[in-house]
Amino acid sequence: MALNALEETALRDLDLARARTFRLTDHLGLIRGSSVVAVILLWEFFGRDVNPLFLSYPSAIARATVQLLAAGEFQRQALGSLQVYAVGLSAALALGIFLGLLMGRYRLAEYLLDPYVYALDATPRVALIPLLLLWFGLGASARIAVVFLSGIFPVLMNTFSGVRTVSADLVEVGRVYGAREGKIFTKIIIPASLPFIMAGIRLAVGRALIGIITAEMFAAVTGLGALLIRYSSALATDKFFVPVIFLSLLGVILSRAVEALERKMAPWKKTERAL
Amino acid sequence: MASTDEQIIAELGLRRERPWSIYDYPNLIRAASVLCFLSAWEIYGRRTDPLLLTYPTAVLSAALQLIGTGELPRQLMASLATLGVGFVLSVVLGVGLGLIMGRSRIAEAAFDPHMNALYATPQVALIPLLMMWLGLGFTIKAVIIFSFAFFPILINTASGVRNVGAAMVEVGRAYMASHRQILLKIIFPAALPFIMAGVRIAIGRAVVGMVVAELFTAITGLGAMLTLYGNLFETAKMFVVIIVFGLLGVALIRATQALENRMARWKETERATR
Repeated sequence: MALNALEETALRDLDLARARTFRLTDHLGLIRGSSVVAVILLWEFFGRDVNPLFLSYPSAIARATVQLLAAGEFQRQALGSLQVYAVGLSAALALGIFLGLLMGRYRLAEYLLDPYVYALDATPRVALIPLLLLWFGLGASARIAVVFLSGIFPVLMNTFSGVRTVSADLVEVGRVYGAREGKIFTKIIIPASLPFIMAGIRLAVGRALIGIITAEMFAAVTGLGALLIRYSSALATDKFFVPVIFLSLLGVILSRAVEALERKMAPWKKTERAL
Repeated sequence: MASTDEQIIAELGLRRERPWSIYDYPNLIRAASVLCFLSAWEIYGRRTDPLLLTYPTAVLSAALQLIGTGELPRQLMASLATLGVGFVLSVVLGVGLGLIMGRSRIAEAAFDPHMNALYATPQVALIPLLMMWLGLGFTIKAVIIFSFAFFPILINTASGVRNVGAAMVEVGRAYMASHRQILLKIIFPAALPFIMAGVRIAIGRAVVGMVVAELFTAITGLGAMLTLYGNLFETAKMFVVIIVFGLLGVALIRATQALENRMARWKETERATR
């Protein structure tokens, strides 16, 4: 857009076109990057001086990563953990959403089930791990149970409160137009409570990850959690960091994935929040 | 006017007795449900191998026994002491660093990547490393609890501070408020609902951290009792500990909610305008 003469003079007088003085806040990406680089360099530098039993350093961790990946042990354990995680989490999501819908829609189900749901939700599920190991042994079923119990309550509670916020008017309109109960669920209640359900799934994904690692660390037989215990008992600190880094990447990827899914499946959430 | 209203109500029969409905007594349904569950558990539990499953009356007598010998209160106090230290530490540091990160974009850019990376790491995975560094004493438990509770407080505080309207800060500055006053009288109160929400999330995670710390270090506290009785196959005593954890969870969440309502009363009105 061309400026007219008046604007040109005004600009010149105010000297707005002058180069802005250097300000740190204009280069936040630079600060972020240099902060990361600085920490890694400091870690590398000081980590080499510390006893390797206590602290490793980035290049040693990179070497250990290559070594573990080449041996194939890491992939095998990670795959085992992920399978258990997937099975337990799917079961938790399916049953959590189902019970949440049931409890949100039918008061009888709510009153029958909510004492247990609230009690179990308040109990830290990690406290159940010794009991579950006692019941299910050291195999996959105990770990699936832990993942299931860690994941189900966030989904269930969120679905439940989501269904309860569905306005009665919407359901009435559906009924006036002759919708059956099944249609009311699939066309009204589930879409209206979907943002809540997705938020519950996001919570559950993280909780279930913590659940499976804790269970594997406690049983110390298979999976990534067992690797953590094995490497730390062997004082192989460089190898210890490999599953740790993998787990944090996994955590980030999973929560990003759920967020993307959330945006895709429940795009109306944004507007709802803005209201 | 009033008489016609009454007449219409009478004609339409709106004053008639509502038929009795079970839904008017939700606690009756709840009580019946819990009673059925407990009696089924009692009957089934007595028939099962006591090594695997116990039954409610056995849990009750185990609870009385553990309280009577003073073991449960002692371990509970030990657990609560570490919980208190770790949690207070995470509130102080979380709010402090959160205020800094929320106020200064430079501090945010510098700390943000590290904090996000640490938050994304499941903190349980770091326990073996912490055990190597800190041994098995009181310190490691407090540190583990701190690492569980710190991040929700930090992240909520920072986003609360960022959400404080620039207009409010401007008004403060126009009235010549010092930096300190702006921080204490404007930013902190405005961010308080966010901070309290973070505290509420953090308390739940702190309890999880406490349990995990005690399960792995297994020397003192309720978690150690859980490991001990698990190894001894004393299922009834394990249930006592699990129930105590449940009650502790409920009590702490209720307490934080009460504190939240007291300290951040303006949150309600804020929510109502949505």
